[in-house]
Amino acid sequence: MRCYATYIYISLQLVIKGHTPGIMKVNKDLIEKYHRQECTEEEAEAVEQWLFSAESDEALQLPVNEEKIVHKQDIWKGIQGILPEEPAPVMIRKMSFGFWSGAIAASLVTGIVILGTHQLMQSKDRSFEQMVTLNNTSSVNVRHVESQEYNVSIGTNTSARIDNITGIVDLSGSMMISPKEDITLKFEGSPEKITFKKGQTYVILKGKDGKDKIIIVSEKNLMDLPPVLQKQIINEFNI
Amino acid sequence: MNSIFNRHIYFFLAVLLCFSACRPSPVVSDEKANSRYSIYIMGRDGKEYLLETNSLDSGVIVPEQKGAELDVKLIDRSVIVRNGYYYHYERKGASFVKYIVEGRNLNVVSATPLQQFSIENYQWLGGDTLLLTGLSTPDFSHVKYVLLNAVNMKKLAEGNMQIPAPSGRFDSMSIGFVKPQNDKLLVGYTYHQQLSTSDYTTSDTTYISELSFPSMKLSGSTKDIRSTYPGGINTVQSSSFTDEQQNYYFMDCPGLALGNRPELPTSIMRIRAGEKKADPDYFLNFSAAAGNHAYGMWYLGNHKAIVRAERKDLFKGLGDHYSTPHFEFYITDLQTSVIKKLDLPLDKGTRRECVLINKDVAYISVNSPEEGNFIWILDIRTGSLKKGLQLAGNTDFILRIDKLR
Repeated sequence: MRCYATYIYISLQLVIKGHTPGIMKVNKDLIEKYHRQECTEEEAEAVEQWLFSAESDEALQLPVNEEKIVHKQDIWKGIQGILPEEPAPVMIRKMSFGFWSGAIAASLVTGIVILGTHQLMQSKDRSFEQMVTLNNTSSVNVRHVESQEYNVSIGTNTSARIDNITGIVDLSGSMMISPKEDITLKFEGSPEKITFKKGQTYVILKGKDGKDKIIIVSEKNLMDLPPVLQKQIINEFNI
Repeated sequence: MNSIFNRHIYFFLAVLLCFSACRPSPVVSDEKANSRYSIYIMGRDGKEYLLETNSLDSGVIVPEQKGAELDVKLIDRSVIVRNGYYYHYERKGASFVKYIVEGRNLNVVSATPLQQFSIENYQWLGGDTLLLTGLSTPDFSHVKYVLLNAVNMKKLAEGNMQIPAPSGRFDSMSIGFVKPQNDKLLVGYTYHQQLSTSDYTTSDTTYISELSFPSMKLSGSTKDIRSTYPGGINTVQSSSFTDEQQNYYFMDCPGLALGNRPELPTSIMRIRAGEKKADPDYFLNFSAAAGNHAYGMWYLGNHKAIVRAERKDLFKGLGDHYSTPHFEFYITDLQTSVIKKLDLPLDKGTRRECVLINKDVAYISVNSPEEGNFIWILDIRTGSLKKGLQLAGNTDFILRIDKLR
């Protein structure tokens, strides 16, 4: 757990340059101390303030004149430099018993999504942000990401390219999506637009081969899928 | 996606189990004690309910007003119903749980640990002895079994069945049926190959192995290449039965929703009483007769069965296979191979335990967006059909109808 928090901290340091919330500076040592439960009351309060502050999001906003795509590439390069070959699992679901780590993970995930995907689905007025790519090259771990509009779990060996302007999604692999509001998306390989309803969870499967048919079902109807696919989904997304 | 919530639920379940273990047998009200049938409902909003009723013949039930609302994170339609109790494998809690409906709640009676298991088949072996056959998880490649007493939920035996694991290009398997035969077990199965995230295929072969019981050692196997994917997961839908002469019939289901070998025919095959392989002289080619694949079969008696068949001209693929009303019911004569379509509305839901036979009556649940969700009543002797109980309100799918006691 501590390693995880440390990794998150290091990652955050790459994107939150010189972030100094509150009076006390929150740094790597302090966070590690916090996880060892060795903080004074004042130190613990500073860490908790930092955790609950929305500044991680603010810090991710770039000056208007700067090309975000450049920042995105730079930051990802930086993060990849310290990451193991497979992307570290960002398992919001797995972290529930460690609340603070979960909170940090949520902040990180939010940060990565917002920065890495250029404010998913929000930037219709900025042409360079039209295309968003979500990748998971891990063959073991699912990546859970969260945006203002929906939670997405990206399956193993999956890539999803989202055109924010047309709402067209080019998926290769598997994903689960839980919209926070009703949204309509169109998937490559599917002739119709699909409306995903708020509060429901959907499973979307699409093989890498362009000829593979896309399968979109509500999680509640998972039992209607062929058992072979059911087992695959249950295993992959731990549902 | 709500793992934190789930974890709390599981913790709560664990606490509940502790209390359940210490309390006396549940008290069942007189009204509940009289309930002969159980109905499992999925609502339009995804909520699920269990209803208990003494009659399927008439009336209207609104599940959100009368039913026990279920925690869909813990339970699904894959339940075994017997003597007033519900049995379900709780995957995340890694336990096999016995429930009872009390008032409008589904309460835990007791549970037994069962880890790394995926149920493929259940079989009552006389009295209260229940045999669960499944696959090891997460690899789905080894066949496991558990024998338990359903009254006290004590395990009698558990282990592996000596059935060959997938090999070569095959990476998983399905157990389609388990049939006690003489003093042994016959197990029908086949193998699968994952082709991509959204595609898979199935071996063209139906395998039937004979195992000693209770040692579960392999004593012989046969292969049959007339069709594939024998049976199905019978906690979700029935697809086999034994006739009055102790001949055993099972479906082979290569259609899109099970085997995904649509070029092979859905068929009904037979294992004669005392035999250990499919009768080479018997092959009812249902696809040839109906022009479609089918899944689900229930015995009416006198060599007639109801078969539930899809309509390939009405659905587009797996994405709408469950939501489009396209299923038809056929009375199938096992001796003459003649099939006769029942005059029922098109039904929706890919796999459902939707037929219940009670002497001369067959209750058939039909989910019709146009005509409503009804239990239809088939008079087996005359062939007449009429509407019975209606499931109204939030009902989207009647997922099961079972004899409760």
